[in-house]
Amino acid sequence: MPRLSPEELRERMARDLPGAVLEAAPLQVTAPPAHGPQPGAFLTTDTLVAPAHLVAAALYLRDTLGYAFLSDIAVVDYLADGLFELVYRFYTLDGGDALVLKLRVPRDQPAVPSLTPHWPGANFHEREAFDLFGITFVGHPYLRRIYMWDEFEGWPMRKDFPKQGDKYIGADE
Amino acid sequence: MLKTEELQINIGPQHPSTHGVFRMLVTVDGETITDLKPVFGYLHRNHEQIAEQNTYLQNMPYTDRLDYFNSMANNHAYAMAVERLAGIEVPERAEYIRVLMVELTRILNHAGALGFLINDMGMWQTQLAFGMREREKILDLFESASGARLMCNYFRFGGVARDLPPDFLPRLKDLLIALPSFVDELERLLRENEILLQRSEGIGVLPRELALAYSVTGPVLRGSGVPYDVRKAEPYSVYDRFDFDVPVGTVGDVYDRFLVRVEEMRQSKRIIEQILEQLPDASGGHINPKARQNVRPPVGDTYARVESPKGELGFYLVSDGSGKPYRYKVRAPSFINLTPLGDMCRGYKVADVVVILGSIDIVMGEVDR
Amino acid sequence: MQIQRGSVIEVARGKRTVRRIPGQGLLDGMAVVWKHWQGSFRKNVSFSEIHGTFTMEYPEEYPKLPEAYRNMPILLYDEETGHELCTSCFQCERICPPQVIHMTQAKDPATGKAVPAVAEFVIEYDACMSCGFCAEVCPFDAIKMDHDFELSTADHQGLTVFKEQLNRPISYYERIAPTMWTEVRDGALKKLQGNIKRRPDVIGMAPNLAEKIAARRRELAAAAAAAPATPPPAAPAAPPTEARKLTPEEKAAKLAAIKAANAAKQAGETLPAAAPAPPADEKAARLAAIRANNAARQAGEAPAAAAPAEPTPATPADEKAARLAAIRANNAARQAGEAPAAAAPAAAAPPATAAEAAAEAAPVDEKAARLAAIRAKNAARKAAEQQGE
Repeated sequence: MPRLSPEELRERMARDLPGAVLEAAPLQVTAPPAHGPQPGAFLTTDTLVAPAHLVAAALYLRDTLGYAFLSDIAVVDYLADGLFELVYRFYTLDGGDALVLKLRVPRDQPAVPSLTPHWPGANFHEREAFDLFGITFVGHPYLRRIYMWDEFEGWPMRKDFPKQGDKYIGADE
Repeated sequence: MLKTEELQINIGPQHPSTHGVFRMLVTVDGETITDLKPVFGYLHRNHEQIAEQNTYLQNMPYTDRLDYFNSMANNHAYAMAVERLAGIEVPERAEYIRVLMVELTRILNHAGALGFLINDMGMWQTQLAFGMREREKILDLFESASGARLMCNYFRFGGVARDLPPDFLPRLKDLLIALPSFVDELERLLRENEILLQRSEGIGVLPRELALAYSVTGPVLRGSGVPYDVRKAEPYSVYDRFDFDVPVGTVGDVYDRFLVRVEEMRQSKRIIEQILEQLPDASGGHINPKARQNVRPPVGDTYARVESPKGELGFYLVSDGSGKPYRYKVRAPSFINLTPLGDMCRGYKVADVVVILGSIDIVMGEVDR
Repeated sequence: MQIQRGSVIEVARGKRTVRRIPGQGLLDGMAVVWKHWQGSFRKNVSFSEIHGTFTMEYPEEYPKLPEAYRNMPILLYDEETGHELCTSCFQCERICPPQVIHMTQAKDPATGKAVPAVAEFVIEYDACMSCGFCAEVCPFDAIKMDHDFELSTADHQGLTVFKEQLNRPISYYERIAPTMWTEVRDGALKKLQGNIKRRPDVIGMAPNLAEKIAARRRELAAAAAAAPATPPPAAPAAPPTEARKLTPEEKAAKLAAIKAANAAKQAGETLPAAAPAPPADEKAARLAAIRANNAARQAGEAPAAAAPAEPTPATPADEKAARLAAIRANNAARQAGEAPAAAAPAAAAPPATAAEAAAEAAPVDEKAARLAAIRAKNAARKAAEQQGE
């Protein structure tokens, strides 16, 4: 099984899964400062897929390309850009670098198809993402908070979660 | 046929054999497990949020506290991630010292983990005490090099905090004389022990396909017969310069995981011996003098992973160009290795649950983060 | 899967030997345990052996800690000059991951400018994570990691550690970490010499070195006397040329001083009587402490105001000094007053010492006031400690 670069992956996916690959727009990450050096935009080299095609793309990676090992699902809250980015990391057992699928969903309606029915290993990753970021995984069999208690309100890893003075900590601490 | 009724019980959160504050919501039919759901979060401190408020260097001691058994391995993964992000070179000698420390960590982790596994089987502290003895010796070495036994905080961006002290290598060589007899003795004590065989053979079987689907890593995955080791699959640091084998199991039960760990200690010792041969020729100092510790990496993201003793430990970092990480995500091996616990326990007896949990080798500091 | 430099080995399962007796595996294991039990009667100190006792009878026997061992941060001072190495550059405060280091920079009381010395330095030991970054980052090698690990206390407040408790002589650090100190010694001492030149008076000296401070003060006075040859030497030796006219503020201060002194005397008299009633007693004691301290301050100030021999009208500077002294004395008094039962002796002690100090140091009034404050504080603390016991 040949190891693929992100460019090759995009090429093959565009051929085999029309409509799945999106053009990645640069992210500004944080609001640029009024003065001083500008940090510049973040243009990813990884493959950006449409949320509706996520399951098809992941299965394509697993069944056609042999990248069967779903290692990690990371969520990044790009507050300034108003979106969540999910980073799926697939490995092949032959070794080598990962193939990465990225997925962008708007911050106000974060709903993503769940991979848990196909990869049981995605279970805890997705529950963690739900718990800390409030991303709804459609089709997840047991989407409950994993770290925080069930009655907890709010999504503690979001960038706009209050660092101080929420109802659990109290304003004076 | 007796009519039975299903019963839900909680195992945990407070019991020494649960390796920390960890609860299992178990549905039993008589003595047989029909369902198990791990419940955790009792040690949750939002490590990732804390890390996003800190500068890159300030996070280094916090990574120690993830898997507090293997602070060196955590340091290594984090340092690698930041070095990739900021483009920092690591001198050869520093790489050797790093690998040396990480392999020692692997030995001490397995020595401890096997002890706890045996403890979970009801053999009390005999093997645990023997394992802890070797662990303490290694911790003594860590203390002399880094200043602390557990929370080593030894790695820096571009190398390690200080060079090895003069008495380090002689003591390490002494230790290497003792290690084989320790492992042999462990095997003699346990390998053919009837109690261990009865408690572990055919218990907690995780078949190969299921192990892959559950994306478990480390000795659990290799115990199920998948020869996947990050050190071989994607060699980082200087791992491509050493000869070592990857032990795999055939059945995927508790006994295979036990044997894989025993063999991994031997392989780690092999690596350390090769380091001792190659270390004097390694160029560079213990740290890259040009590496700034208050890094401000350019905008971008990176993922670095290492084979921690418990599995694949990865750090996903996103930089916004400032001195603090914009996103810091830990891919914790203990956390993911817990996912198949329900499937591994289904159909076995209540008494096996703790043994199966012990064979996964989790640390709650890393699971809960 | 292909593996470079190595192979995949399948671990061998199950029994290797043919069993003649059932339970032989157990017996084999018992033999191992037996061997260890036999070995446990002798001591083992070598890493190359696995038998024998490795443990240590801890309180009787202490582990030999490696030099690099780090537990909690301490501050170093140089015993020869009495100066602290810290210049309050705030590097450690900035890098501290749990943010438990706090400090304020010393200011020259005469000019109000910042001085490369530290006024107060606080480390919250209870939240310190012993990472050692502060010692690593310190450009003056002033903060180092201690080897003392017996810090357990029943008193949580005691884990907020102030400069007086943090100060250790260089010789102490040299003893626990000889090579690590030798590496940095020359640079650290050179930087210290440079900093001493920029520190006026006794700022930056370790407060527990009272004799050093006195010696330094004498030295400074001598230097001041030697440098300008023409004017009459130091203030005390100078003959009174003319009685300076007192400003209204000074007059008021003098009056207040007398009043406060009287009040203090009264308070001291009434205190024993008030002793039986605890709450009232505490309040009275605190009040007495404040009054007594005011008295002490005034006592410090009064000679200043009365000293007509001042060559220059030093009013603004010494007023400031006096105010500083007053604040410090008050703090000390509060500390003393807070230890309830001992309040009476504690309150009585500091003003006495302070007054004494002020009296003997009267010539250089500004310094005297400061010294009085320091002494008062120390005395108060001592009293409080005695009470604590």
